[in-house]
Amino acid sequence: MSESRRAGAGVAIRGPIGAMGVAAALVTMAALILLTGVLLVEAREVLDWRFFLDPPSRVAAEGGVGPALAGSLWLTLLVAAIAVPLGVGTAVYLAEYAPPTRLVKAVESVLTNLAGVPSVVYGIAGLALFVRGLGLGPSILAGALTLTALTVPLVVVNCRKALRAVPDEFRWAAFGLGASRWQVVRDQVLPAAAPDIVAGCCAALLRAVGAAAPLLMLGAVSFTTFAPDSPNDPLTALPTQIFAWAARPQEGFLALAAGASVALLLLMAAMHLVLFAHRRRQRGTSA
Amino acid sequence: MTATALSRSAGNPPSPGERFGKHVLFTCAALSALLGAAVIVVVALETVRFFGQVSPARFFGGLTWTPLAEEPGFGVLPLVAGTAQIAAGATLLALPVGLLTAVFLRYYASGRTASVLNAVVTLLACIPAVVYGYFALNYVTPAIRSVWPGVEGFNGISACLVVGLMILPTIVLLSREALGAVPNSLLEEGVALGATRRRVLVRLVVPAAAIGIAGSVVMAAARAVGETMIVTLAAGNPTGPTWNPLEGVRTLTTFLAQASLGDIPAGSIEYGACFAVAAVLFLLTCGMHAAGGALMARGQRGNPGAARS
Repeated sequence: MSESRRAGAGVAIRGPIGAMGVAAALVTMAALILLTGVLLVEAREVLDWRFFLDPPSRVAAEGGVGPALAGSLWLTLLVAAIAVPLGVGTAVYLAEYAPPTRLVKAVESVLTNLAGVPSVVYGIAGLALFVRGLGLGPSILAGALTLTALTVPLVVVNCRKALRAVPDEFRWAAFGLGASRWQVVRDQVLPAAAPDIVAGCCAALLRAVGAAAPLLMLGAVSFTTFAPDSPNDPLTALPTQIFAWAARPQEGFLALAAGASVALLLLMAAMHLVLFAHRRRQRGTSA
Repeated sequence: MTATALSRSAGNPPSPGERFGKHVLFTCAALSALLGAAVIVVVALETVRFFGQVSPARFFGGLTWTPLAEEPGFGVLPLVAGTAQIAAGATLLALPVGLLTAVFLRYYASGRTASVLNAVVTLLACIPAVVYGYFALNYVTPAIRSVWPGVEGFNGISACLVVGLMILPTIVLLSREALGAVPNSLLEEGVALGATRRRVLVRLVVPAAAIGIAGSVVMAAARAVGETMIVTLAAGNPTGPTWNPLEGVRTLTTFLAQASLGDIPAGSIEYGACFAVAAVLFLLTCGMHAAGGALMARGQRGNPGAARS
């Protein structure tokens, strides 16, 4: 009976459901701690400055993630530069401008469904479209375009949600004061939705940066001796590098795979920091 | 929604600059639609071409998948079965933990605990699949084998466990959304009538959110179906079809990943087979995604009514 004392949230854990909930939450937390702990312990011998700059090597102890890290940076920048404006623009058009015709509805539902398609399917489509169709070969650019195809639907879906969350009263009030549609979107809707839009774009980009399967389908290389310095250079990236090392049973490569995983997670954390910096700046300007 | 639609003609007439802005936005939408259409069309075209070489009856009815054998078999069913095995196993493992975590987050955790747990779930969702795959092959599999030596180096159990971990955040976050649609008054009224909190949760709240929770499970299962790196790394790719989860499993996605490691000449029959398998994967995940989304929407809509009755 004691468990029925309070009905609101934030009560002490009582009763079997609460205990099972605690257990489930602990399993979830333990999984994360175990995963990151294992990565850090395994990677501790390879992690130094040299590791982030050197190319991979046949001798495990001499290997590094230099080219793969550079490749992932290229991919991040290119995808962010192409997919984010494209996706946000699409979402704004669909939410604020598009007439409710059948074609527009079809485009919306196709993009929504594409957001649920596994990344490996984009890989094989990218192989036919960009690597072979446009003759780009397995280059950084082909990888960036493939990841763009994967990211745009995610950005659109996330931004649609953000725009939908802006109450219509905002729009009505601005229209009532004589604002044009562009002014309504620019001055009312976008600022109100901005935090969710940035978070949604960030989530989509994080998925793109961590995607290994599509790059594998395109023919990413994992043993290149030089870092890519243009979008036309051979495709190499951290996720495919991790895959190549993780599957090698020889001693030493496990540590490299763990090190590369840490490098990838650090890259993703850096992207998160950019998001936080943006949020803080926004809070600063609006205050 | 209707309010937005009504307001389409509202506002002052646009200046030339504003018209230009509208054109830019339209171009973005057109390009996005084009990119999406290109992905769908190229997979569809190559699949149709493949069906010119291998009849759909052979593809959907055949029971062997041996595209590289001398007398190749192009029956996709073994791959679908392997995929179903992994997805079902992973979902069954993730459902209890995920649902309980969601209930805990919504009804038990206080501010601090809830925000820590939220962060943990979000972080789990951010970890790339290939990192999970590395973890599965090099840590989970040895751990399983140390207690159960009969398990092979590449096995379905390890893949199921880790894919389950990967889809756990999806179940937690979407189930919590479904539970969030259930009005708090339901719990309060139930408790006020003298039922225990546990009884109200099990008999009233979770059933009221059941449709939405089912939707979250379907969404999570769709992710498991499409999961490539974990399954490829942990379950490997045995040559024959297998039904034994102690051995390796061959799925739609592992075939694609393994095929990409060899060099497939464009236009060859194996190249076409990749697209046909991708098309199956596409339709399967799209269907599940749409069904899950519809269930979740129904759960959201149905809930105020479910609470009243």
